[in-house]
Amino acid sequence: MISLRPRRVLITGVSNLLGAEVARRLAPQVPFLFGCDVADPVSALEDMDFVHADTRHVVIGKLIRQLHIDTVVHMAVAVDSAREDRAAHETNVIGTMNVLIGCTGPASPVERLVVKSSQAVYGAGATDPSFFSVEMVGAERQGGSFVTRDLREMEQLVGEFADRSSACRVTVLRLGYRVAEDTKLAKYLLLPIVPTFAGFDPRLQLLHEEDAAEAVVRAAMGEHAGTYNVAGAGVVLVSQAIGIMGGRAAPVLFPYGRWMARFGLRAATGIDLPGHLADLLTYGSVADCSRLAAQFGWTPAYSTRAVMDAFARGKEAEVIEAPSPPQEYELQVYLQRRRRAERNRLPVDSLAVRR
Amino acid sequence: MSAEQRTSSLYTEPKQQLRKRSRKAEIVAREPRGIRMPKAVRRLQRNAPAYAMQGLVELSSRLRQMTGHEIIDLNRVMELAQFAYQQREVARRGANYEVDDFGFDPQWTESFLIAFKILYRDYWRVETTGIEHVPATGRALLVSNHAGVLPWDGTMIKTAMFVEHPQPRHVRALVAGLFMGTPMLSWFLRRTGQTVGHPDDTRRLLERDELVLVFPEGVRGTGKPFKERYRLRRFGRGGFVATAIRAGAPIIPVSVVGSEEIYPMIADLGPVARAFGLPYLPVTPFWPWLGPLGLIPLPSKWRIQFHPPVHVEAHPPEAADDRTFVMGIADQVRATIQKGVYENLKMRRGVFT
Repeated sequence: MISLRPRRVLITGVSNLLGAEVARRLAPQVPFLFGCDVADPVSALEDMDFVHADTRHVVIGKLIRQLHIDTVVHMAVAVDSAREDRAAHETNVIGTMNVLIGCTGPASPVERLVVKSSQAVYGAGATDPSFFSVEMVGAERQGGSFVTRDLREMEQLVGEFADRSSACRVTVLRLGYRVAEDTKLAKYLLLPIVPTFAGFDPRLQLLHEEDAAEAVVRAAMGEHAGTYNVAGAGVVLVSQAIGIMGGRAAPVLFPYGRWMARFGLRAATGIDLPGHLADLLTYGSVADCSRLAAQFGWTPAYSTRAVMDAFARGKEAEVIEAPSPPQEYELQVYLQRRRRAERNRLPVDSLAVRR
Repeated sequence: MSAEQRTSSLYTEPKQQLRKRSRKAEIVAREPRGIRMPKAVRRLQRNAPAYAMQGLVELSSRLRQMTGHEIIDLNRVMELAQFAYQQREVARRGANYEVDDFGFDPQWTESFLIAFKILYRDYWRVETTGIEHVPATGRALLVSNHAGVLPWDGTMIKTAMFVEHPQPRHVRALVAGLFMGTPMLSWFLRRTGQTVGHPDDTRRLLERDELVLVFPEGVRGTGKPFKERYRLRRFGRGGFVATAIRAGAPIIPVSVVGSEEIYPMIADLGPVARAFGLPYLPVTPFWPWLGPLGLIPLPSKWRIQFHPPVHVEAHPPEAADDRTFVMGIADQVRATIQKGVYENLKMRRGVFT
């Protein structure tokens, strides 16, 4: 019943750097690519049909059915979001529930579902083992920060869906922590004097943006059901990471009652460190990615150290602002409509802008 | 003409500028900040360690001639010099070092080894027997009794492997998760190769052919009052035996004597400890009355005995699921350690001698 290749792919939450990269890599491989998000896409892509849609509304299910989507890449999961916790919860839990509702039903066209989760689902604690393997998220792990709890609830929903519907193959990717320009962890490590938690120097495991995109694309195109950890090989210590970035570690944050330290950090530097990152910077978190290597036959190209080095080099490089300005986006939309009109043999003058 | 001009300008440039321009020069010796000393003073600074060594050798031989005794032990002096050198090397490498997946930094650990060797030799005067039972290569699980409020016994077993064993190896100890949540201690323990006492971690370390040290008593052993010294606590549910059978590693029982007297624990401030998330908060004759001075361990006399290995790797992995078999081996190991503790106590003349 499952067709060999995905034909009609929908990417939710496409309007960020990772989503754009995934769309760019998927576009030449699939005949029909659709993307949706609440915001405008960060870079224009002619081969992708973009629609403003919010996963927090049930309308997303209608979209999936009407477009006859056979592969859903669900990336509208906010882990490192600038928005407040309440909105992130709505997006992560309610949004995923709506997408899953769209995928269920006897007449559902969806055959594959790829869900972007995060290593933050494990949380980080003193008594945790040195490596998190995939099975270590369960009823026995309670508590944790907002993001950890939301992700756990979301994965539980996805797991129940996978058990219920055998016709749909579900892949969950727990992507490692990333240091791109816009993540909080990156902003934290870029400080000239980095306040760290006194008496702690945990291990960090990182994932490069390119590897993250590649993993999502491979999951969408491949035949690998199940849950996978995706993160770079090896670890760096937090002090080492700060040293690589050319900063200086200042062990001044009080490690107990970390909300106080977070408050102080926000007051002093303007970085609002989420709870799960505060836990990470105290106890560290390393995932066991052996399952990914065994099933995908692929491992991330960048080791953790290479990710840090690339990030440090990028700090010196000049950042090119706005890869595609709004005009270009408008142009892409026009070309898209023209292409569609040609396909449907409509008269070209129907494209004329009506004012 | 122009070429000549260029060469002349190259050679007439002040030496300082040449030095600044050359990239190699910075790698060899960074320009010191502050006032530039005269040449004679700089030469003296450069040669100071050598002069100091020469002077010490001279002084040592003079003193030996005068008194007929060894006053300055040159081996100790060399060790201290080596310690200073290693510390400088570690400081110099900056962020260019690698830790393994557990956060272990071997070079950093070895740079502190001399401090622990001094503790081992001169402070606690450790006598170690049966070191030949520890294999030079391959996986093995060391199982020891646990005592003293802070895990100094682990450090001494690790040091014993470096001082006594013909082929020194790093011992990777498993630590209670509560210690991993303690500031400073967690950082130090991870960096020197320790990890959380979790069956998953034990398995992974053994699969990498490491020498793993486990204290099955856990915090029940370190937090026991002084009047119950040298009486081994329960060995958990024998989880370490099951892990060793599954990983195919021999179990080597270790008896440590002397660790009980380093901090004689008179009372335990349990409720206060729980408020801070600690397993116990001891009261000793010196802690907390003398403040940080109370953290100095007492110089008791130590003995460490490594027993012959229990070859559990001879059993198939399925034997790990047999509860009675596993508990039997755990009891056997516990009895060996307890017997070893009593024998070594008899060999010790007094607590401090």
